[in-house]
Amino acid sequence: MNEGSFAALVPLIIFMAVMVGISFFVKHRQAGKNFLGSYFVGNRELGGFVLAMTTVATYSSVSSFVGGPGMAFTVGFGWIYMAVVQVTAIFLVLGIFGKRVAILARKLNAVTVVDIIRARFQSDFLAAVAAFVIVLFFCGTMTAQFVGGAKLFSAVTGYSYESGLILFGLVVVIYTSIGGFRAVALTDTCCALIMMVGIVLLLHYVLEAGGGYEKIMSTIETNHPEMFEPFSMGNMPWGIYFTQWLLVGICTIALPQSVVRGISYKDTSGLHSAMLIGTVVVGFMNIGINFTGILAHGVLAGDAASYGGVDNIIPTTIATVMPRELVGLAIIGPLAASISTISGLLIVASSAIVKDIYIHYKQKNFETVSDVKIKFLSMAITAIIGVTVFVIALTPPNLIWLINMFAFGGLETAFFWTLLLGLFWKGANKTGALFSMVGGTIIYCATQAAGFKIFDLHQITIGITVSLILFLIGSYFGKPSDKETLKNFFP
Amino acid sequence: MLEKKIAPKIDDAQKFKIVRREAIYTGIALIALIFFWLIAGFGTASIDVKIFHLPLWAILGTVGVWIFAILISFVLSKKLFKDMDLGGGDDE
Repeated sequence: MNEGSFAALVPLIIFMAVMVGISFFVKHRQAGKNFLGSYFVGNRELGGFVLAMTTVATYSSVSSFVGGPGMAFTVGFGWIYMAVVQVTAIFLVLGIFGKRVAILARKLNAVTVVDIIRARFQSDFLAAVAAFVIVLFFCGTMTAQFVGGAKLFSAVTGYSYESGLILFGLVVVIYTSIGGFRAVALTDTCCALIMMVGIVLLLHYVLEAGGGYEKIMSTIETNHPEMFEPFSMGNMPWGIYFTQWLLVGICTIALPQSVVRGISYKDTSGLHSAMLIGTVVVGFMNIGINFTGILAHGVLAGDAASYGGVDNIIPTTIATVMPRELVGLAIIGPLAASISTISGLLIVASSAIVKDIYIHYKQKNFETVSDVKIKFLSMAITAIIGVTVFVIALTPPNLIWLINMFAFGGLETAFFWTLLLGLFWKGANKTGALFSMVGGTIIYCATQAAGFKIFDLHQITIGITVSLILFLIGSYFGKPSDKETLKNFFP
Repeated sequence: MLEKKIAPKIDDAQKFKIVRREAIYTGIALIALIFFWLIAGFGTASIDVKIFHLPLWAILGTVGVWIFAILISFVLSKKLFKDMDLGGGDDE
């Protein structure tokens, strides 16, 4: 470790110790219960508050706390106007899929989203493709979280990038592996609460250091009038508004890490509360942190480039305005956003390999797998995926934020129509789902690789359109789903 | 004394009918929110009114949209959505 202050690390160390403590507590409490159900969906015991918080925390990544407010610093209120579309994310996914997925999971004894896809389309190949897509894109997203979190840690505390990676990266892998989904949900709740505290703290100190709200706003009005325009004098083209509605708004309903929350809650009153609480919290976080990014003009006189780019605005602001003894506390918020996303993805990626591929293969061949072996494998696979991503993050790839968005779009292209049409349209069949998931994802990746765009819009627009067309073609020419399946899904 | 609300027992066909209707309500709510977002932000951008040093569109298009989304979530979850037994013995 370099010249960083140890005092700055103490709050973070305590926070991470609490996270590990929660995972051991959960492991102890879940002892003797059905392992698969408790490890991968927390035995369907989540209440409304925890359901809301875990859904929000998994959805809100480190880029919401670092890259987003950095862009708000550059663009102005148009950025918040665009980011606020994320208030749809929680009520949409829970309102459209929440109950349907919960009923089906209980009926089919499903513990993963892939279980439901397999049952709906009666295809092991489609299930394997879905599991592969989940693991592939989740690894990309998790790498972005590790890198983003460790860079932030390094910039604020003065310790090395690797120290940060070890301190929060390895701990999140450990507590997720030990406690499973229930631990993830509870630690996510702590993370979401600490994120909100972090936003309020940072906002307070930015206002104080900048000489108060009125003074800061007057400075921005004089020096950056474009920040008060919705299109920010060309910095916020309409295409960004349009694609963000798809990318971080409407299409997020199909993200497997969000849909799986529909399997995990206890009763419908909890779901209803979660829709309301989640919408309040996600809006507070989005508006709060991005507004803080704009107000940072009160303490940072230069443009984003003079601080090393938009990703350095929030770390620099924290380091500039926070009292030294509170820096450690302030950094927990953004790091909590990072670790809650990693843990949420890690447990779903692990379930895709253990439950959707390994256990299904064994059951198909009439082989039994002992509970002890399932337990060992689940924890080991979770740890292996986590450590693999950790190792990739040790030599951080360039353009990490683009990788994050790329993964988001890929998951949405693969799962949006498969889940939406699969669960709400009787005419959807295996061929349509296969065409859509495989074809859509390939086209999306190819257009990303080639840098091909239409009207300069993000490639999600191409992916989601091609995916729909292929779904409809496949469903038209393919064999209809059998009566027994339709009876289960559309009684 | 607080009484635990017990979800009514209904058959699968009725449950799925309700769930489908609730999904449609959610879709309609999304469309309403998109319209509100457009009008609150772009629709008021030309109005030269400031509140707390912020142009009207910036208030309505951010905090206004958030409050509208909370209102929508309230109506959906407390007024339109129905409590039901999810099956599988989990609600017992």
